[in-house]
Amino acid sequence: MTGDILTDAHRAARWWRRLAAMTQKEVRQLGRDLPLLVFLLYSFSLSVYVSGVGLTMQLRNADLLVHDADHSLSSRELIHRFRQPYFRLKGEIADPREGRRRMDEGTAMMLLDIPPRFHEALAGREAAAVQLLVDTTNAPQGLSAAGYAAQIVSRFGSEVGLASVGLGSTQSAMPMIVSAHRVWFNPNQDETWFQSISHLLRTITVFAVLLPAVALVREKERGTLEQLLVSPLSPVQIMLSKVLAMTAVILLCASIAVYGVLRPVFHVPMKGPAWLFFLLTGLHVFTTSGFGLVAATVTRNQAQVGMITLFLVGPMMLLSGITTPYESMPKWVQTVMAISPLRYYIDITYGVLLKGAGLDVLWKSVGTMALLGGGLFGFGMWRFRRQFE
Amino acid sequence: MNLRRIRAVAVKEWRETTRDRLFLGLAFLMPVLWLVVFGYGLVMDVENIPFAVVDHDHSQMSRDYIYRFMQSRYFSYRGHVTDMRDLDRLLTETKIRAAIIVPERFQEQLSGGEAVSVQTLLDGTFPLQTDIAKGYIVAINQAFGEDIVSEYISGLRGVTRAEAKRAVRPIALEIRYLYNEEVRSSWSTVPALVMFTLMLASPLLTALGIVREKETGSIYNIYSSTVTRAEFLTGKLLPYIAISLFNVGILWLMAVLLFQVPFKGSLLFFYFASVFFILCTTGIGLLISLLVQTQMAALIITMVAAILPTILFSGLLVPVASLSRGAQVQAHVFPGMYYTDIVRGSFLKGVGLNVLWPDVGALAIFAAVIGLITYRLFTKRPKA
Repeated sequence: MTGDILTDAHRAARWWRRLAAMTQKEVRQLGRDLPLLVFLLYSFSLSVYVSGVGLTMQLRNADLLVHDADHSLSSRELIHRFRQPYFRLKGEIADPREGRRRMDEGTAMMLLDIPPRFHEALAGREAAAVQLLVDTTNAPQGLSAAGYAAQIVSRFGSEVGLASVGLGSTQSAMPMIVSAHRVWFNPNQDETWFQSISHLLRTITVFAVLLPAVALVREKERGTLEQLLVSPLSPVQIMLSKVLAMTAVILLCASIAVYGVLRPVFHVPMKGPAWLFFLLTGLHVFTTSGFGLVAATVTRNQAQVGMITLFLVGPMMLLSGITTPYESMPKWVQTVMAISPLRYYIDITYGVLLKGAGLDVLWKSVGTMALLGGGLFGFGMWRFRRQFE
Repeated sequence: MNLRRIRAVAVKEWRETTRDRLFLGLAFLMPVLWLVVFGYGLVMDVENIPFAVVDHDHSQMSRDYIYRFMQSRYFSYRGHVTDMRDLDRLLTETKIRAAIIVPERFQEQLSGGEAVSVQTLLDGTFPLQTDIAKGYIVAINQAFGEDIVSEYISGLRGVTRAEAKRAVRPIALEIRYLYNEEVRSSWSTVPALVMFTLMLASPLLTALGIVREKETGSIYNIYSSTVTRAEFLTGKLLPYIAISLFNVGILWLMAVLLFQVPFKGSLLFFYFASVFFILCTTGIGLLISLLVQTQMAALIITMVAAILPTILFSGLLVPVASLSRGAQVQAHVFPGMYYTDIVRGSFLKGVGLNVLWPDVGALAIFAAVIGLITYRLFTKRPKA
């Protein structure tokens, strides 16, 4: 009996040793690809930095042209309320047609047209109207700009109007609703946090799908897989070693991004425990690589696997909820995206980093992701085995 | 340049591609499927913001006020809460993105002519959504306030309701939307998606072209043949340029017929500008293929270098004008941005070469530079 137990332990140790040897081989192979290494480093450092600093999806610097046919106190006052950071005054024009031409060129986004007798109409309590042309080739930006403009005009109008009926322009003396906002989790509305974190998530996801998938197909294409199959390695070990190696590499790169860029440069908080973030990043990489492995089993060469993974990664990038808010998407997209691990990983990352959420809050996302990863891995394994029988 | 030799290389490349059924299928199918999925699925309007309410007042007026949010398509009501700590939990779990807290004496103060401060809590993790939600809330508050104020004034000054209303809102703002008059999200996304799809799919077609031959060793056939460098590179590119140009046509047809996006410009100009763009994108793939040693590196670099800047810096989501200086520089060194101008200009604005010549020029320069670098770097006499 004791002999049997010893053999079992011995076998298990040998199994793990083999897995470790294969994993080590994968890491080494990756380490010898210099252009790839340089690029990996760039993606997790400089690239994260640039997108954090450079990107803002909030309306900024909408170029505004003004055609002021009134040249009065009121018109000037109104124009000066269109301010940075939302609007950037691009100067006055004498002819509205000039404005249309500039909008065609794309050098102006909006044209504010103030009619003659604007000031008189306001003072004389007549109806006054101003016109605004908005370029909506980018629809959300155009709508957002129009919304801000409407707020500016209506606030200016109510101040002038209330003063004209003899009530002070101070709004607190009126039965108005004062909007008091408190923003949680990112009180200063620092968009660098959002953009740099989102970029890191995108990068991790691309690499997680691609690296193990290509590593597996490469062996198939070259024929070295046949050698591995006649070795004492089991298919599980062959596949698992690739995932483990790439997960380790990606985790290392992610920690470079977190401790080299996010924390010191952008001061992104880490409200929850760091170990939890990295543990769940590991889970995300594992789950996502499941997609890659399944793709690897249906393809024969690297060109094919590249195409298939791009085909999968594209929708994941755009529809998982970091590019546009998840709640606004059509129902069918939300349903389909339930199989995108990135969708859960987004909640997890923002939860741990910004909200300080622990497993007690995130267990649902974590569980779903683990199930998904297990399922994909199992399916990949089944296909892989079947191919070589 | 010998045309016959170019043809020989191109035909060999074409055969290799057509014999790989899966690859060929995806090369044509992917752009089509992507346009369908993103064209219908990528909605950039911020709507259905989930919110919860704490009503400390429980009055007719507070109910009317909250009803305005429940009715709005921008918000999606998730329930009333009595305890503030519940809000904390809901926000942390991302069950809601906003919370509205109506204070006590809401109705009493407003009816008495006093201002009331209504607090809203917002989830700040997605700043764009937060910002837009803030805008919607302010707009609803303003509209609700104006109704009450005009009633108040008409009572106070003894003027008619309409006159009071005019005092509160004396200026009418007439907004006219240009180019996309009904502000349809799909009209602005679909043309940009034509750019997105081509920018991602075409470099991938060429990315493995040279490095695969290097890995398998078949490149030595080329080294020892009479084919010159320029002939080889041209022949390598031709089939993929053809595939991509075919895809441009399909994508154009889909945009016009399926998504009903108006095409106001000149088709000839659009196609002619697209040729330059395709030269850039396929050229990028070939250049990467030349620089790396393994197919794996080629694939990953192409994909990451194509996907990320295209999502971020091409004008697909954010106009280039609102990027920071550093990001603008990065936007200008990628061809995507110029082509976005060309596509949106041709579809929605109906402008042509007279307006878009700087973009076409930039693409032409880009293509020439890429071609030149590739030509200089490719050598038939490798060291080692």
